[in-house]
Amino acid sequence: MDKILYLISEGFKNILRHKMTAFTAVFSLFLALFFVGLIATAGENTHKILQYLRAKYKIEVFFDQNVPNEKALGLIHQIKKINGVRTVTLIDKEDALRIFKDQFGEDIMDILGYNPLPVSAVINLVRTSKIPVKAAPIVNKIEAMDGVSEVRYQGSLIRKIEYTYYRILGKLPIVAGIVILVAVLVIYNTVKLSVYSRKQLITTLEMIGATRTFIKMPFIFEGFFIAFMSSAIAFPTLLATIKTGNYFLANFTSWGIRLNFDPIIWIWLIILSTCITALGSYRAIAGILK
Amino acid sequence: MIEFQNASYSYIKGNGVNNLNVKIDEGEFAFLIGPTGSGKTTLMRLIYFDLIPDAGMVIVGKYSSSTITTRKIPGARKGVGMVFQDYKLLGDRNLFENTALPLHALGFPGKEIVDRVEEALDLVGLETKSEHLPMELSGGEQQRACLARAIVKEPDILLADEPTGNLDPVASFELVRLLETINEMGTTILMASHNYNLIKGRGRRILEIKNGTLRGA
Repeated sequence: MDKILYLISEGFKNILRHKMTAFTAVFSLFLALFFVGLIATAGENTHKILQYLRAKYKIEVFFDQNVPNEKALGLIHQIKKINGVRTVTLIDKEDALRIFKDQFGEDIMDILGYNPLPVSAVINLVRTSKIPVKAAPIVNKIEAMDGVSEVRYQGSLIRKIEYTYYRILGKLPIVAGIVILVAVLVIYNTVKLSVYSRKQLITTLEMIGATRTFIKMPFIFEGFFIAFMSSAIAFPTLLATIKTGNYFLANFTSWGIRLNFDPIIWIWLIILSTCITALGSYRAIAGILK
Repeated sequence: MIEFQNASYSYIKGNGVNNLNVKIDEGEFAFLIGPTGSGKTTLMRLIYFDLIPDAGMVIVGKYSSSTITTRKIPGARKGVGMVFQDYKLLGDRNLFENTALPLHALGFPGKEIVDRVEEALDLVGLETKSEHLPMELSGGEQQRACLARAIVKEPDILLADEPTGNLDPVASFELVRLLETINEMGTTILMASHNYNLIKGRGRRILEIKNGTLRGA
């Protein structure tokens, strides 16, 4: 028990004895974890941007002049059943008249003596689909309905947004993988350098008859402490960055997006940094030990 | 206690030791003398299994170079204390911590560690400097601290590789006296030196090594 306590306390004391080395290791680890955390948080929240953009997708359907409000309601029920449609809002002839007056400032009834505006509907598409939303098949189905005169939609814009989003989403794991790999290498090499800088300690311990485990353990515990300290700093910094991001999104944009931070990310960061520091320490010492 | 049987070791770039045959008995104090590069340190390294002979065999206590494995080397070194010319004290630990290091490695309980370290520092005359860092000590004091670290675990064998190499004549003389005191307690000692004046006339066996070959063994 004395021996284990000694090894743990040595791991901690090594940090105090080599403050500059420890600071460099903690800071490098913190930076690596912070960027990994940011990438993970970005990955967690990209769907919100898409949802925001999808909320803007709109298909306008104009019915024939002779279609009364009641028949239009029936058609709307059919449109609602089409896969990919989230909501359908009916704009009857009276609503159309009001909208015209709001937009142009003139009452068309006064000019023409009758209401020439057709019944129409505004269709919003699904926002949470995990596959790209395709408006064209929906439009084709609506156009084929009896009583539909015209369908207007932002086909090319929707295509571009969906295509770009899924291209980014496809590459995000690669980017995240590269960032994690760089982080792993930074952490691994920082720990290795920290161990190499104390080569004399290792050779002295070997000379006095210390076992390989006895030599390795304080470095591994030290790695744990460094990993814990780095993630303890990385967590509030990430949280503060996300809160700042949310403040700007809420106060300077009208997007209605709020970034979420999943604490699970922090647990992953601790596991990642602990494993890498332990492995880095172990490998570095193994390289020095005969 | 220590036995070389036709032991040879050569480095990639040459030198080393050739066909060593010597036996050092339990409780003996022997000197190993020879010029720089003659093979003194190689011979010492063969004793604490830092090197394994290319040919022949080295037997230290119950351990033999022909059967020892990497895992068993720490066990073999438990019975061997070492004093180096360059001290090899850890600069970031005080004298107490440096001296206690072998005892922690061997798993001694805390109370016994304190008692043994105090005793060892007392023996080498550094009991008042236990809180000092190595850099705050003179060369002679650092060498005595190194000696305290070597004897604290009460080894059967003490190897001193040019322990007086960096010391002035007075400090060198005091150190040899100290080694003699430790030898009187039953520890087998082998001390390497190139200073013949320091070791002559002490009534101890002197092994001479030159170009890797022992003379007068």
